[in-house]
This record gives sequence, C-alpha cells and structure tokens, in this order.
Amino acid sequence: MDQIYKRNNAKNFILLSLFFFIIYLCFLYLGIDFQRFFSALGNFGKLIANRYYPVDIPYALEPGYLSSILDSIQMGYLGLIIGVIIASILAYLAAANLTPSKRIGYPVGKFLIIFARSIHETIWTILFVTIVGFGMLAGTMALTMYCIGFFGKLFSEELENVDMKLVDTIRSNGANEFQVFAYGVWPQVKTAFTGILIYTWDVCFRASTIIGFFGAGGMGWYLKRNVLQLEYARTSAIILSIIVLVIFSEALSAYMRDKIYKETQ
Amino acid sequence: MSGYNLRVEDYTKQNFSKILKKIIFYTVAILVIFLSVYFIIILDTDWHRIGSGEGILKQLSYFVGLDFKIMPYLIKPAFETFLMACLGTMLGLIMSLPVAWLGAKNVTPLGLASFSFARMLMTISRSVHEIIWALIFVGAVGLGALPGILALAFRSVGFISKIISESIEGADKKPIEAIRAAGGSGFDVMYYGIIPQILPTVIGTIIFEWDINIRRSAVMGLVGAGGLGLAFFRQMHMSNYPGVTTVILFIVGLILIGEVLSHYLRKRII
Repeated sequence: MDQIYKRNNAKNFILLSLFFFIIYLCFLYLGIDFQRFFSALGNFGKLIANRYYPVDIPYALEPGYLSSILDSIQMGYLGLIIGVIIASILAYLAAANLTPSKRIGYPVGKFLIIFARSIHETIWTILFVTIVGFGMLAGTMALTMYCIGFFGKLFSEELENVDMKLVDTIRSNGANEFQVFAYGVWPQVKTAFTGILIYTWDVCFRASTIIGFFGAGGMGWYLKRNVLQLEYARTSAIILSIIVLVIFSEALSAYMRDKIYKETQ
Repeated sequence: MSGYNLRVEDYTKQNFSKILKKIIFYTVAILVIFLSVYFIIILDTDWHRIGSGEGILKQLSYFVGLDFKIMPYLIKPAFETFLMACLGTMLGLIMSLPVAWLGAKNVTPLGLASFSFARMLMTISRSVHEIIWALIFVGAVGLGALPGILALAFRSVGFISKIISESIEGADKKPIEAIRAAGGSGFDVMYYGIIPQILPTVIGTIIFEWDINIRRSAVMGLVGAGGLGLAFFRQMHMSNYPGVTTVILFIVGLILIGEVLSHYLRKRII
C-alpha cells in the first residue's frame, strides 16, 4: 500500500513537472516574456484606473449613440428571424432520425450548420462588408449566419432526441411529410424551440453589439471610432453601456425561458 | 383549487384573453420585423454601392480559389491560435477556481458579500465580448499572443466558474458532513468531499469551453493579438482574396480538429 502510494506520488510528480515544462515551451514558442506575463495584471489594473476610469457617462446618453443602440437591436432581431427560419429547415435536414433524404439532405444540412458555426461572427461581418459594403445590411447578414450556426446546432440536437414512436405511428397511418412534422414532431419540440429561440436572441444581441467594430452599424461602430481616437473615457462609457444592456437582455431571456418552461409543465 | 367550480364561461373568457395576448404578441413581433426591414434594408443600405446582382457575383468570384503560396506561412499562426486557446482556457480555469469558491452559496466564506461579489465578476466576464477584452489587453500588455491568452482567460472565467459553483452547490452533502464530523478542516472538505463529486462536470465544461476558445482565438488577431486572425487581417488588407479564403479554410480546419478532439475526449471521460 505504502509502496503504491509512493510510486504514484513519483509518477504524479513527473507528470506535473512535464506539464509545467510543456507550458514553459509553449510560452517560449509564443514568444511571451515572463516578466510581461506576471506584470500583466498590474498593467491591466493601471490601465483601467488611469485611462478608463473617469467614465464619460454623458457620452453614452447622447441621442446619436442611443439611436445606434436601437440599430443594434434591430440588426439582432432581423438577423435572428431570418437565421432561425433558415436554420430550422437546415436543422430538420441535419437531424439524423427525421431527415427526408439521408444521402443528400443530411450531409448538406450538417455541413452548412458546422460551416456557419465554425466561422466567428466578426469574420462573417468582415466578409459581408467587403461584399455589400458598410452598414447594417452586412451586419444583419453576418448575424444571420451566426444564428444559423448557433440555432441550427442546438435545434438539430433537440430534433434528434424526439420520441420516434409517435412519429412512426403517425407516419404508418399514412401521413405525409408535412403532417408528420406538424402532428408528430412539432408538439414535442415546441417548448425547446421557444427556449432556444429566446436564448439565441440573447446571444445574437450580444454579438450585434460588437460586429459594428468591423464595419456593420450599431454600437460597435461608435466603439471603433473612439478606440481609434484614443478616447478612453468614451470607450469605457460604451463598454459599460454594453455590459448593462447585455445583463439586461440576459436577465430578460432567463425570465422568459423560465416562464415558458413553467407554463408547459 | 378553484378548478371544481370553474364554469364554462370563465374558461372561454380565460381562453379568449390568452388568444388576445397571443395575437398582440405576434402583431408586435411582425411589426418590429417590418420596422427593422424598413430601417436596415430601405433606409440604411446603399443600393448604389451594391449595384446589380452581377456586381455581387463579381465580388464573390474574387474569393474563389486558394492561394497556395501563403500556406506554409499559415502553419505557425494556426499552431499559435491552438496554443492560445489551450493556455487561455488553462489560465481561465486557474482564475475561475477562487471565483467559483466565492460564488457557491454553501461554501462562500463571507456570506452574501463575497457571493454577490463573485457573481458580479462572473457577469462582467461573460457580458464583455472577447473582442473588447482583447482590445483592453492589447492596450495593457502590448501586441502578440499574450493579450489573446489573457482575453480568452478573462472571457472564460464567467462560464467556467458559474458551472463549477453551481455544481458545488448541487454536490451531495453527506460526504461533506462526514468529513467535517471526522474533524476535517475546510481544505479537507474541499479536497476530499467536494472535488471528487464535481470533477466530471468540471472537466466536461473545460473541454466545452476549450472548444469555443479555439473559435474565439481565431479572431483575436483582428485587434492586434496574434494567431490566424492576424493572418486574416493582413490578407484582407492586401486585398488578396484567395488568401482570405485560404485562411478561412485553415480556421475551419482547426475548429473541426478541435471539435473532433473535444467530442472524443468528452466521450472518454463521461
């Protein structure tokens, strides 16, 4: 017993030192100065205290900025609606148990969802800005892609967990594809659909506050301008307003999801 | 329960108000759609700049094709992105341990004060986008991979510590009480009572967060931290569109590798 304990201890020690050695190698590879690493937190505190601290709150209450908040909300909303409509179809194709064509529909749906998901929303924004130009349309398209990835993944997983007995019963009674969906699948996933929809709205709004940084409209554009002008007080005001709005939207979405789950139970 | 003496009229009335509510809700939702369409597509869009469908197709056709010449120069940034995600997640885990300890209702040391403090930290960490974190850290520590790692760590703290503190709150009390009754200190309770219980959840969460962090670390370069984002930014500014496609291909490949790895790891552990 004692020996096993000792051997384990030695093994653990070796593993631990190997682990730290690997981290050391990673730091060397990335060219990170250790002094800089350990002084990072101090620098962060100094930066916040010296530059960002006197928050220019009146700037965040100017009408121009407030209307940009409205722009962001609209972008998020429209992107969500279009994205969810496309994503629902793709998710239905990408659910292994329900897909109408296993050969073509399943891989195509799956691939499109994974593709939309694996590219970050900011990269989508940059791509769409080069195609359709600066403005809210590019942002809406980027958010649409983001919603397809996010909503599609969650909803297709939900569809795969559907109770197939009910679906098969309806199908064996001679229902067509649409009837199967309307009477067999939809009642089972209705609550989950609404919950995921609200959650996606929350996440989409969070993304819409930032994509303006890369040329779409909304609050991000103001953020970019003030970052480039080194207006730290205004930047911190914008960041603070984003935090407040995101907390608000998160609380709202949590409340609504809670209410919906309670209603159905 | 009032269900026994509920009359038919009451029921229909209730139903009616419910339907009315639904109608109002959907009307507002559709109105907001029209409003957004009006503001975004009609007022804000410069259709002249977009031109015809041909123009868009032409613009899209620039992106077709791969630039094989830059591929060798992308391997190091890809590896950098991967390492940034790993180190950022690890640092995030280290930082989230104390936050989770403070934020779990049943083990927090100073009652409501430390609990709400930790919850506030978690919320701030989650509600600030990774791009903003990266901007702040690029200002604080300069360019390179370090601000990316710190930004990812600060962004991950919220999610990881929230899950950990929730699983600490949900841990079985019996072993904890037993250790305490046998004279174990607070550390003993933590080490032998709580950690073995929450370990599977925590590891699953970390793998999940690591998977997301790969995605995030690919865009850190857009604001000055290193990795594939920087390569993307450069190709975009050089208007080398096939190069952009190549970088995107690398990003997608990296993320697919991460997804497969995380799927495999999670299956093995849970």
